Amino acid sequence: MQANAKITPSTLSVKDHPWRIAWSRDKCSLCGQCTAVCPVNAIELGVFRKRIVDVEIHAAAQPGNVNKVYHGIRQRTDAAYHCIGCGMCAMVCPNDAIMPYHNDEADKLRFHLSQGGQAERRGGRRNAPAGILDQIKFTRISMLTDPALDAGRHEFEMRTLLGRLLPPEENMKRVREHGWIPPVREIYPLIIGGMSFGALSPPMWEGLQMGVAYLNEEMGMPVCISTGEGGCPPRLLRSRFLRYVILQIASGYFGWDEIIHAIPEMKVDPCAIEIKYGQGAKPGDGGLLMWHKVNDLIAAIRGVPKGVSLPSPPTHQTKYSIEEAVAKMIQSMYMAWGFRVPVYPKISATSTSLAVLNNLTRNPYAAGLAIDGEDGGTGAAYNVSLDHMGHPIASALRDCYLNLVRLGQQNEIPLFAGGGIGKNGNLAANAAALIMLGASGVQVGKYVMQAAAGCLGSETRRCNICNIGLCPKGITSQDPRLYRRLDAEDVAQRVVDMYVSFDTELRKIVAPLGRSTSLPIGMSDALGIADKAAADRLQIQYVV
Amino acid sequence: MDDQQYYLISGRQNDIRIESRVLEEQIQEAVAKGRRKIQVEAFGQHGIGGRLWRAGDKPLEIRVTGHSGQRLGSMGYANTRIENFGPASDDVGWLNGGAEIIVHGHAANGVANAMAQGKIYVAGSIGARGMTMTKQNPRFAPPELWVLGSVGDYFGEFMAGGIAVICGIEAQTPDNILGYRPLVGMVSGKVFFRGPHGGYSKSDARLMPVSDADWQWLEENFSRFLGAIGRVELYDELAERERWQVVAARGPMDKVVRKTRSISEFRQSAWNRELGPGGLVGDLTDLDMSPIPVIVTGELRRFVPVWENRVYAPPCEASCPTGIPVHERWRLVREGRMDEAVDMALAYTPFPASVCGYLCPNLCMQACTRHSSGMASVDITQLGKSSISAKVSELPPAAGKKIAVVGGGPAGISVAWQLRRAGHDAVIYDMSDKLGGKMSRLIPRSRIPADVLEAELERIREVLAHVHLQQELTKDDVEQLKADHDFVVIAAGATKPRILPVAGKERMIAANDFLARAQDGSIDPGKNVVIIGAGNVGCDAAVEARRLGAVDITLIDVQEPASFGQERQHAEAAGAKFLWPCFTRQITEEGVVLESGEMLAADTVVISIGDVPDTDFLPDSVKVEKGFVRVNEYFQTTDPQIFAIGDIVRPGLLTDAIGAGRKAAAALREIAEGKRPAMDRAHMIDTARVSLEYFDPRQSVFSGVEQCGTSCASCGACRDCGICESICPRGAISRKQLEGKDYEYAVDPDLCIGCGFCAGACPCGIWAMRENDPLH
Repeated sequence: MQANAKITPSTLSVKDHPWRIAWSRDKCSLCGQCTAVCPVNAIELGVFRKRIVDVEIHAAAQPGNVNKVYHGIRQRTDAAYHCIGCGMCAMVCPNDAIMPYHNDEADKLRFHLSQGGQAERRGGRRNAPAGILDQIKFTRISMLTDPALDAGRHEFEMRTLLGRLLPPEENMKRVREHGWIPPVREIYPLIIGGMSFGALSPPMWEGLQMGVAYLNEEMGMPVCISTGEGGCPPRLLRSRFLRYVILQIASGYFGWDEIIHAIPEMKVDPCAIEIKYGQGAKPGDGGLLMWHKVNDLIAAIRGVPKGVSLPSPPTHQTKYSIEEAVAKMIQSMYMAWGFRVPVYPKISATSTSLAVLNNLTRNPYAAGLAIDGEDGGTGAAYNVSLDHMGHPIASALRDCYLNLVRLGQQNEIPLFAGGGIGKNGNLAANAAALIMLGASGVQVGKYVMQAAAGCLGSETRRCNICNIGLCPKGITSQDPRLYRRLDAEDVAQRVVDMYVSFDTELRKIVAPLGRSTSLPIGMSDALGIADKAAADRLQIQYVV
Repeated sequence: MDDQQYYLISGRQNDIRIESRVLEEQIQEAVAKGRRKIQVEAFGQHGIGGRLWRAGDKPLEIRVTGHSGQRLGSMGYANTRIENFGPASDDVGWLNGGAEIIVHGHAANGVANAMAQGKIYVAGSIGARGMTMTKQNPRFAPPELWVLGSVGDYFGEFMAGGIAVICGIEAQTPDNILGYRPLVGMVSGKVFFRGPHGGYSKSDARLMPVSDADWQWLEENFSRFLGAIGRVELYDELAERERWQVVAARGPMDKVVRKTRSISEFRQSAWNRELGPGGLVGDLTDLDMSPIPVIVTGELRRFVPVWENRVYAPPCEASCPTGIPVHERWRLVREGRMDEAVDMALAYTPFPASVCGYLCPNLCMQACTRHSSGMASVDITQLGKSSISAKVSELPPAAGKKIAVVGGGPAGISVAWQLRRAGHDAVIYDMSDKLGGKMSRLIPRSRIPADVLEAELERIREVLAHVHLQQELTKDDVEQLKADHDFVVIAAGATKPRILPVAGKERMIAANDFLARAQDGSIDPGKNVVIIGAGNVGCDAAVEARRLGAVDITLIDVQEPASFGQERQHAEAAGAKFLWPCFTRQITEEGVVLESGEMLAADTVVISIGDVPDTDFLPDSVKVEKGFVRVNEYFQTTDPQIFAIGDIVRPGLLTDAIGAGRKAAAALREIAEGKRPAMDRAHMIDTARVSLEYFDPRQSVFSGVEQCGTSCASCGACRDCGICESICPRGAISRKQLEGKDYEYAVDPDLCIGCGFCAGACPCGIWAMRENDPLH
């Protein structure tokens, strides 16, 4: 701020900001790269006056007073230009002269992100590093009891089933009577969750899809990926790669007329259809793709005019009860592909998850249920929805699984868990914990963005600007100047690396259990936790 | 079998199987007693024939008949030769340390597991996990496993040394003599085999032709093996070299992971081939999606610098009602063009010395960017006072429109001045006998030296040839002016004093009358003077009263006096007292009686609570609202032929009146030419763009106009300092000389990275970073 300017309630100092720029005058070469790269213009060249008072009490000479100036990097303190801690400045600095670091106390900025009455919106994550999944241990390590397997040497078939599984006698009956048998896919249990074309940049989306295709075709891993709600590029719809794709339909129905037009020309069926009713990161909050992201390309894929904001309502508008909503949507989506493609709903984890599940158990078509926990990520949401709305995935998933067990249907309706899996980097451990709690597979988004594209977000309020199209890595931007920083091939390579290493880690966890050809779904006697309340709630062993 | 030579130990006593421990004790005891040939009649005992070091270097022969148990010959020593007549159970030669073990039959799972030295000859086939985890210790020869038939599944897992020879004769699995998934995790050693195989771990091992050295070794050892198992007749069958192959472990650097296409190859040959050129969205866009670096130039920059020279007005110009571009004058001073700096003012005001130098509260200085940072404003009064010497440039012939200006005060003079300079014929009519309105008649000479004002009025008279003084106008006169002229500008000021409706009001003298009579010396105020209304005019009256001999001067007001600046200072210097709140009840011979009952003695009572215009002479076509003439944004009254400016429109400062004159003249010229007047002024620059760090904050007094010039930040107007050229990290900015004295600073887009350093460093706030044009 200017020295004598009036201060307002929202006048902030560097001290008040969550991220502070440490800049070294000694090291800086004034190359300009940090200010050129800063996505939010939080830093600028500053002119600094340096006064030197040269006095010597005994000197005959007159005391001196000299003003010099020097130039350096200054952090702006206006809330609108606050540093987001992304660290791109440090990345491009040739001399390691600049670095954002976290304030050591609660910042004041958060109280001033409501300028003009606009509630804070952002992208990213909850920024809550803790979580129950990391605390779960695999305590059943068979050495002599079960046939312990060697994760490195033994053959494994890490597969799971997506689709409605009939009880054997019912299945046999239908075979005999040539009845309808629900389609079931044998897929890899780690699914890339729904991130739309639009939320993600073209190279990011293409890179993910290419990586998935590579894993299927070159590595023999039947990985599948959800499109998110933003349609699907026409070429992909008409390619053989569609078989790895889960097409998502959500309340905005974006891109679905293009999908319908493509059905007659499809070479293969899609892997599955996911009906999105809710998102773990922001239950009850709809989606919004801001108008500035809706360029020609997005407009073509979504089948909308360019340059308009695209809201997805929090709910599907023509559905008024669980029974109607689920039955109607599942029927419609099955019909589109002649009942050859599994259709399942995806909901936010909630204390009412069981009601949805129970409804599905009575619906003979439901191919599964995906449940997304509060730690899921999002491209854009109200801060309050991100931080305070939602339900942890572990207990939601567990409740559902145990309910299926009570009904004797645990092998009939697969559950898929998502939301914060691997948020602290422990992808395989978190995934295995959820599988042993009862999930048939897991969905991940943020982890993929971090591992495959170098997303700078962390659980400490870093970056979080997915919503404004300025992603410094080009992951969530529709501006070629930003997204061309990302190479689709690099993304694909990292997707492959991530899956192959995940596979190794998952084997390391399941091999000591003697499992090599079927996932230990619901094998909760292998789990322990040093938290009595959590152990009781999840019905796993309390270990200390 | 020559039983005579062998010491017989039976695994049964009294038809009951003895424990492995007891049998072991008996064998060890026999060896300890010097027995070197022992025959064991086995009954499933564990580990027969191992650990017999007590024989020392002497060869030890162990024959095993019956049913040997698990781990035959385990931990065997190099002195020991064990011959098992019949098939063997699991783990033959487990952890073998040198024994030679011959099995005349099949052997079950785990043969040679963890074997480190010695040899195992099997006359049949073996079960699963043979030759696993074997090693070669560099101190010893490698261990060997010879199998006449085939091996079971998972052969050679983790094999870390040794040689296996699988002959494929009378094999249990003749179609795949190496079994399922052999050699996974093999790190050392080799496996010779003869016959078909069903694959092996290619990442760990490699198939090679049998070298001459290998073949020589094999040939030498065939006889030994066949001799040991008693099948020498097979030699010729084994000795067909072309039927043999060898699999050897890969070294650590040689390990291969599964061979797959690179992502690039996959993209070209699978992805793009299936989807079409350009991949996923190649059909929807022709945008270049190739990767770019983070630091970029040209059209890839997110922000581009723009040299916004003179796009925005500096605060001084923007806040000057007259609209003088003060910073431009300081630029001329800096450039050593003092005369031009002085003369330039005349383009804006006919009173650069009187007003800017003396009478104006200098709104330009109040707005000065330096002022907002707590630094001393650049002192315009110094340049103002110098402007007494300003020279009028040559006037164009007065060939344009004819305009009558009613009122010869600052507003009237200003509009006439501007019109005349633009080649129009402006004629001033004034009631007074002096040109200059308030400035000449009312403002005390203590605030402006008479010679300064007179010099400026003289300069005005040179420009404005037609001035008609002592002209009181009526409605009819104004109608006539309309008829005789193209336009009429009313600048008659506010001349009617406001009077308090109190008893004895006739005893009050209006401030304007008082000031005018004070100037011409026709009034003696006496010793006590009370001035009702303590504004600036009241202050002027106090100063004049003091000059004329008053001793006790009191200014009263109903509220805190609004007077400020020089007027107030001069009044206080004259010893005037300020009292408030005071409400006047009546004026008596003695003085002013207040509502409080207090009596302020007064010889003279001056009323200075403001003036209102006299609009009686205006034609009915000119609408008056609340006592003032209504005008539009161009100072045009409701009569389009008549304009109005100055205090008759809205009370204001001298500079407001002069500015109104200038703006009205500009509008009038445009309207006269049939155009719509363009009244837009440049927006004021955001002073945050200006960098004052280059200036000395301790500078509070300026030694002269030169120092003023150098201290002006030149907000919004390039100082041509070249700092941007110097700060640019890529050398992208250069100064370009244009025609005449013009220049510009230009950016080379191919060099610029959009860092904004130019904008950050510019002292004047010229450079701005603008978002680059969208690419899609």
